[in-house]
This record gives sequence, structure tokens and C-alpha cells, in this order.
Amino acid sequence: MITPLEFLYHFRDLLRERGIRFAITSGMACVYYGLQQNTKDSDWIIEPADLPKLRALLLEYERRVPPWRISYRHIFGAPLVEEYLAAGWTSHLAIWPSAGGPEEHVDIFGAPPRVLPGSVAADEMGFAEPDLVAWMKRTDRDKDWPIVDGLARILEGAQMPEAALHMQQAAALRAIWRALPTAVQNTLLPHRPLLAMIESVSDDDMLQGLIRVERTIWETVNQERYRRYQHEWKEFYRRWKKEDFWEWPTPEPFSRQHERLVRAAKTYDLPDEAAKEAAWTRGIERATLISGRPSATVLALAPSRGRMLP
Amino acid sequence: MNVDSLKLPDSYYEHLAEIMGQEAADWARLPRAERERELTRHHMLYNTPDDLSLWPAELDGGVDRP
Repeated sequence: MITPLEFLYHFRDLLRERGIRFAITSGMACVYYGLQQNTKDSDWIIEPADLPKLRALLLEYERRVPPWRISYRHIFGAPLVEEYLAAGWTSHLAIWPSAGGPEEHVDIFGAPPRVLPGSVAADEMGFAEPDLVAWMKRTDRDKDWPIVDGLARILEGAQMPEAALHMQQAAALRAIWRALPTAVQNTLLPHRPLLAMIESVSDDDMLQGLIRVERTIWETVNQERYRRYQHEWKEFYRRWKKEDFWEWPTPEPFSRQHERLVRAAKTYDLPDEAAKEAAWTRGIERATLISGRPSATVLALAPSRGRMLP
Repeated sequence: MNVDSLKLPDSYYEHLAEIMGQEAADWARLPRAERERELTRHHMLYNTPDDLSLWPAELDGGVDRP
């Protein structure tokens, strides 16, 4: 029987063999960095232009002897095609690499949330760099924020200036910011407007208060972002379910499932992008209400729409 | 960044203990190969799927928001 970690590294090696650009992210990356103790699913960022090669790989392994069984999962997800994944949707697969063995959950991102286009980078082991994982972990789950801070400390230990983008503790943030040359500071400012306020706020508790507001902004904008994807997918799903003899996922081979999902997405209008501008605006409004700070303060702390919802 | 060659100071692990707890800090101190052995042992002993939600963790789900 193959274990989840053996599968992870085997799948990684297959992607490399086929020239598919990827980075392993989220839970498995956090295990790699020592910041998470358990996970079973694997999350992969795949360059959207390489998705045809990934589909070809899956179809090949479905037909080989012994075959992999591959299926879309029943959860919220888009077809494994470029236009959806490049627009922020994710695809969710189950793979049984051996008969009778456990299923491996493989989640695939094309344009991961909060990660700027062109900035996906993996190390020699295939794991996403800590800076990238830290952007993805700015969710509204409490458990993710200590990981953001832990990744900042790892970046600090590696003497990488991106530590200043993710540090969640005021005193440590102030120290690393002051140690950076002005030219480097200037490259970081567009990504974290709070950095521009460090010298004007002399008290660490006040600075910590601003870091809390900043976190609230990321949380509310993320909630508004997924709310829109969730709404669009539910509407699509309801329309699709009205088909006669509807079933999902079907017990068919992955190739047939994929054709079925692509056709359904077109027929029942799964949009290739959810409304991001509205998500940013509403998220800022909600962060203002939740934090109780003046809207000018919240706006000054908020990263741009392009930074938060690239 | 290859974590195998990264040396972090004690203050890093002390900070992790503050924000995540001592068990998490002790885990972080383990060499990667040892962490992977522990994770595999966990996978062999327990069947605990990550995803108990209709929605993926990065979008809304996971064990914290079933």
C-alpha cells in the first residue's frame, strides 16, 4: 500500500517528468516547514498552461496496468481546465493509486488566492516558498494566522526581507523593518501598507492594534471572495441537478467524467470568474464595522484590490 | 528554500511555543525526515480525512468549518 507521503513524492516526480510546472502548497507545505503536524490531502499549484499535460498524465495512468482510479470529488470545484483555474477556481480529485488502497485527495489551484501572477516558486523539493504559502494562509481561519507568523520567522531566519510582509508581532516587525535598506523597504510597501506607518506609531501596542485591523481586512475580504465563488457554484449545481438521471460524481472513467463536467459547466453557466471588485469593497466595509476604526484608517491599512484579489 | 539546511535559533522555537503551544514547537524541532516518519505513522494508524466539508479549506471548509 502506498502512503500519502509516498504518493505525494511519486506524483511530484511524475509532474517533473512531464514538464508540468507546479508547487506543493498549503498543508503539506506547512508540514514541510514544521508548522503543521498532520494533513492527508495534497494541494498543488499547477501552471494553467500546463493543465493539458496534467490531464494527459491522468488519462495515461487511468489506462495503464495496474490502473489508477481517478474521480472528481463531490465537493465544490470546477473542471480541470485552464479558463476556470486561471480565474481562481480549484479542482478536487480523488485518486486510488492501488486497488483496495486508500484514496488520495488531490486539490489543484491554477491561480491560488492572494498569490500574484508570475510569483509561483518552488524549492528543489517541489514545495512552495514560505512567502507564497504565507499569502495563501491569510484566510479567515484562526489556525492559519500563527502559521503566517511562523513562516515570517522562517523567512527572517533565512534573512529574507519578505519576513516584513508577514510578521504578526509588533516588536519583531519593527525590528526587522528598521534593519532593511530603504530601497528594499520601498519594494515591500505596495504589498503591505501598514509598513509605512511603523515609524509614525511609536508604541508597540498601538502597532499591534493596527496589525489586528489588517488581519481583519484579510479575513473579511477572503470571506467575501469565497462567498461569491460558493454562490456561483451552488447556483450552477442547482441548475445542473435538474437533469434527468443526474448523478455526481459518476462511476465513469475520469475522461468521461471530465467531459461531462466541462459540458455541464458550459450548459449550466458556471462563470469563469466571480466578482472580485465587489468582494474587496464589501470586505473593507465589513472590516471597518468589525474593527470600530475610522474608515480612513482601515482604507490606509488595506492592501490594494490587485494585491488582495489578484 | 531547502528546510533541511535551514538553522533557526532557539528564539524561533520559543516563539512557536508561545503562539502554537509546546507540542507544536517540539514537532518543529524534529528533522524533516523524522516529521515525515511521524506523519506516515499517523496516516497508518488513523483514518482522518482532512476534508469533512463540501467546501475546500482554502475557500470555506475543512475540519474547522464542517
